[in-house]
Amino acid sequence: MLINILVVVLFALLANYLQSPVVLSILNGVIVVSMVAGLLFFFATSVGVLRFPDFFTRLHAAGKGDTLSTILILFSCSLFALKSATYLDKATLLTSIKILLIINFIFIGSPTATHALIEAGYNSEVDPWENNK
Amino acid sequence: MILSIEILLLILVVILAFVSLWIRDLVSSVIVFGAYSFLMCLIWTGMGAVDVAFTEAAVGAGVSTVFFIAVLFNTTRKIRFNPLDLSSKIFATFICSAVAYLLFLGITDMPFWGDANSPVNSVVSKYYVENAYSDTKVPNLVTAVLADYRSFDTMFETCVVFIAVLGIFMLLKKEDDDIHLGSEETDQENDSLIIRVASRFMVPFIQLFGLYVVAHGHYSPGGGFQGGVILGASLILLAMAYDMKFVQNLLSIKKMIIYAALGVLIFAGWGLVPVFLGNNFLDYTAWAQLLPGTDGIMARSHSMLAVEIGVALTVMCGMYGIYMSLVSDGGFKKGL
Repeated sequence: MLINILVVVLFALLANYLQSPVVLSILNGVIVVSMVAGLLFFFATSVGVLRFPDFFTRLHAAGKGDTLSTILILFSCSLFALKSATYLDKATLLTSIKILLIINFIFIGSPTATHALIEAGYNSEVDPWENNK
Repeated sequence: MILSIEILLLILVVILAFVSLWIRDLVSSVIVFGAYSFLMCLIWTGMGAVDVAFTEAAVGAGVSTVFFIAVLFNTTRKIRFNPLDLSSKIFATFICSAVAYLLFLGITDMPFWGDANSPVNSVVSKYYVENAYSDTKVPNLVTAVLADYRSFDTMFETCVVFIAVLGIFMLLKKEDDDIHLGSEETDQENDSLIIRVASRFMVPFIQLFGLYVVAHGHYSPGGGFQGGVILGASLILLAMAYDMKFVQNLLSIKKMIIYAALGVLIFAGWGLVPVFLGNNFLDYTAWAQLLPGTDGIMARSHSMLAVEIGVALTVMCGMYGIYMSLVSDGGFKKGL
């Protein structure tokens, strides 16, 4: 929540200095880096879900990687919405702040869902994997 | 939308439809069906029908998946294969193929997709596109068409939701005597503190978003149905995270039925008032005489909001009531 407020303040500052070329190139870099990092984490998540041996480890991969990658991709999307506007108005700013708000709910909802799944698996006595060999 | 992505999505949709029929485990089948709905939602977004996509995401991928799982919770998750069914299945396949053949024959007579000369595009939608904003001052054409020009349709859709709730409620409702026989452990409480705290944090925001969708349907995709489903989903989330008793303190089953009926009453009553003022049924321009400071155009715009509120009330109580009936098998004591 606090981070989110800070990011909104940062956005307001960025909106002030949006026209200068230095800020634009930095913004471009941040967008590309966070998008690529998010896609990498997504790839790692899907590899983990496919390759890990049992229910708990798979959900471990899904819960962590999915949350982080979604957050990174949404962050880059919101910056992109800010950057790609030819002139800045309230609607553009509102769009990017709405995407930032979605990040909050992903951040709370996705780990909770993973927790609920793992607890349901634990209660119904899914056998955890053991390395016996 | 890019054509190749659209083709890819359509192929995936067909594959998922077959997979959801193929899988023996019904829970997996339901999950695949949810993915199918979500892909359909993406396709509709690509075609520009954002309102439909929103409804599909809320109803098809969200709430109906929960309904299916609530049904499976009380029945069985495995299909039992019966060899005697085979003949009836072959018969059903034959009937389906025949109907599909007839439908494909019918497709050839239909106008092409987006054909400018077809009757739909040249007369009706042309009128809506040109006149809807000047008639009603509502920028979102879909809401204007749905809640004003074609409000008969929407009114009876609301009635359909109401009748569905009543039907499911009355079919599954048990007498009080039956409930006391079987279950001593009525107050099973969900143990996980994390889930309860997280859902208690999320629910106000979900409900706020639902109200926003209802009220902002004039300007952005959304409206009574989507907002009502979101509001109902927040109640369903509470019923899952806590227990059935906690939600029934918020909205009891009796109130649920009353409010669902009240929603239909708001819609029909709002349409009935113009009859007494000398206009047609559901012709909102007459409301200008009653609402202060409005002319005929703004009266139509405001009436849409009132009508959407009625729809949202019915749909919210409907989703909540259907979930509660299905998950507790009509007893309203013990659920997921």
